Parts: sequence; structure tokens; C-alpha cells
Amino acid sequence: MNLSDFGRFSDPALLILASLADGPKHGYGMMVDIETMTGMRLGAGTLYGALARLESSGLIKAMTVKDRRHPYQLTAKGAGALREQLSLLQKLASAGLKRLAEA
Amino acid sequence: MSLRRWLIQLYPRPWRDRYADEFDALLEECLHSPLDVLDIMLGALDAYLEVPYKMNWRLMNMVNKLRTSILIVFASYIGFVIGGMSLYGLADDSPMAELMKTRTDMPLLTSWVVVEIGAVIALLAVVIGGLPIAWMVIRRTLTSSRQDFWLLLVPPFAFLAQMLYVGFVISIGLGFMHIPGVIPVVTPDNFPIGNRLVIAGKMLVFILGAIASTAAVWRIIMRSTPEENTLNIPGRVQPVRIYEYAFTLSIVTSLAMLLMLVATLAWGGLAYSALPRVFAENRGLLLTNTTGSFIVVILIMGLSTAAAFFGVVRGYSVKKQVA
Repeated sequence: MNLSDFGRFSDPALLILASLADGPKHGYGMMVDIETMTGMRLGAGTLYGALARLESSGLIKAMTVKDRRHPYQLTAKGAGALREQLSLLQKLASAGLKRLAEA
Repeated sequence: MSLRRWLIQLYPRPWRDRYADEFDALLEECLHSPLDVLDIMLGALDAYLEVPYKMNWRLMNMVNKLRTSILIVFASYIGFVIGGMSLYGLADDSPMAELMKTRTDMPLLTSWVVVEIGAVIALLAVVIGGLPIAWMVIRRTLTSSRQDFWLLLVPPFAFLAQMLYVGFVISIGLGFMHIPGVIPVVTPDNFPIGNRLVIAGKMLVFILGAIASTAAVWRIIMRSTPEENTLNIPGRVQPVRIYEYAFTLSIVTSLAMLLMLVATLAWGGLAYSALPRVFAENRGLLLTNTTGSFIVVILIMGLSTAAAFFGVVRGYSVKKQVA
């Protein structure tokens, strides 16, 4: 699964996947976690635009709870997609840093 | 309308059905600036425009339309029940009822029996078709949504209110309760305005209860997700597609309503030819004109049947697309 299929929501989708990597969270929990992790604040419209895409792609799923605030959790497919994206970013970061050091 | 609610209304209906509650909970905590509002408006626009989504929405829309069609038939059935109760009120203790008791060979009794058979068929179809939906709703209510729990209590509360009112009427009839202007036993010649108000109140409690219960069931079902369309039954290989199953039974309900309408018309015609005098008298609902009351009953039943068939035709076209 390539997150770039999500268009302008591909970056927020990656942030959501990363936020859910350590356990289920509801919308506001993800928003706060992403802000703590990256300093970026996702708007509610952006968050749910990405979240709905991730859910319909089977990368995350809603948990059943007695609350209006549904927590979401990563699926195995979502964890695989996150691992793939992070590996790509890691390679890119390593290559970029190496080139900067050599320049 | 609050800003939050207005912003949520900007999203497409299937999106709202799925996410409105949790999105609203999120907005309670993070709607602070005009930029937040703009972000939500862009999100709503995206929900309409995004191509892969439109395909999902299309499927969700079809399931929604099927559900709505079933609910139209259900609401029509409730309307028909109100008409049926009025017919029962019209015939009960009337010269027509006496005639059916004494002349069992008459087609008048046959047509009445057909109405009763139709009532049993329609009720069974509603109950059998509604059982999987009821199970799905109860399961969801117990596991996820508190709001659904309260909505689920509306029909039993409406029934309880009706029973309390019936108890109130009986206690007046038995003389346990005395209300100025209301007498314990009425006759056609002595039916004070107070008693008419008490009986009108009983009808009002029934109608309001029926409307509230229908609205609650409607709301609960419309909040279910398309995934809840399937119900796995232990020992059965294929899951039951509950809305398609309910739709099939809603056709049975609608046909039974048509049968009852035709039988009621026949009953009215036969009763009129046997006892024309009664139809000119004030023996109708709340002792109004009998013919007028019968026309009201036929109108309620006719409109309900027409609405039910509208639901069936609408649902049939959607069901073909889902299949």
C-alpha cells in the first residue's frame, strides 16, 4: 500500500500511522500525540480526511467502545505500510545527511 | 444551529452517518480558530470530491437507500396500525359487530376475517424481518453507543405511557377515580365533552408514542454502518444480509397492507348495504359521523399503503444495484 495514493493526505496519514504505532488512540489523542511528536498541529478536517482514507484502505480500524470518541488501532497491513514508509524515509535521511556531510 | 453542527452538516450524508458522532466529540476539544473552521470546510469539500471515496460513498449510499426504503415501509405500517386501531374502535360494540356475531354466513364476517388475517401476516413480517436488525441494534447499543441505548428505550416507554393511560381510563370506568365533567360509563346519548377529551387523549398518547418510537427506530438504524449489514449466525455458512432480508419481508408487509385495505373497503361496502342507517348516525370515532370516521380510516390506510409501496419500489431499484 502506497500512502502517496492519498494525495495531500499522504503526510497526515503517515503521521497517524506513526501515532498509532504504540497503541490505539482516538482523534483528539492522535492530534495531541502528533503535535508532541513533530510540533505539527493537524486540523480536524485534515485528520479525518486522512483517517477515513486509512480506514477504508484497511490500514487502521475503529475499535468498539462505549464512547462517542472511537479509538483507532493499526491493522497488520497498516503496520506493514508504516514500516515500509519509515524505511524509505530512513534511507532518504541517511543519504541526504551523508551527502551534506560530504559537501 | 451551533457552528460545530453546521460544520458537520457540510459533509456528505454517508460520511456523517459514519463519523459525525466522533467528529463532533473531536470538535468539542479542538475548534478554536477560523483556520480550524477553514480546515474542516476543506475536509468537507474533499469528502465530496475525492474519487476513490465517491466509489465507497456510492456503495454506502445504496445501503442507506435500502435502509431508508425499509424504514419507509415500517413507518407506513405504523401509520396503517393507527388506521386499523381506528377501524377497530369504529366496529367494536357497534351494530356491525352484532351483525357479524349473529349472521356468520354473511360476506361481512368473511371480509373482517380477511382484515384480521392480513393484520397477522403484516405483524409477523415486521417482527421476522425486524429481528436481525433488532439484534444488530441491541448488540451495537450494548457495546458502543450510549445514545442508541436511550433511543432503544423510547418504544418501551411509549408502550408504558399507553398502558398507564389505559389504566387511568379503566380506573375512571370502574369508579376508582373521579374527574369533574367525566362520567364512569358513557352511552351514545350521554357522552360528555370530558369523556371525549379522555378518549382523545388516549388516541393522542398512542399516536405520539407510535411517532416517537418510529423516529427512534429510524434514528438508530440510520446510524448503523454498512458493515453491520451482515449478521453471522452460528451454524450457518452464509451470513444474513439483514437489510436485504428485511426488505424481502417489507414486501410481504406491504402486500398484507394492500389486502387489508381492499378487505376493509369491502367490509365497509357490505356493512353499508346491510345497515345504511348506522352510517348516517353518529357512531363513529368519538361519536362523530360513522361515514366520516370510516372515510378517515380508509384515508389513513390508503395513504399508508401508498407510502409502503413507494418504499418497496424505491428499495427494489436500489436492491438491484446492490446485487
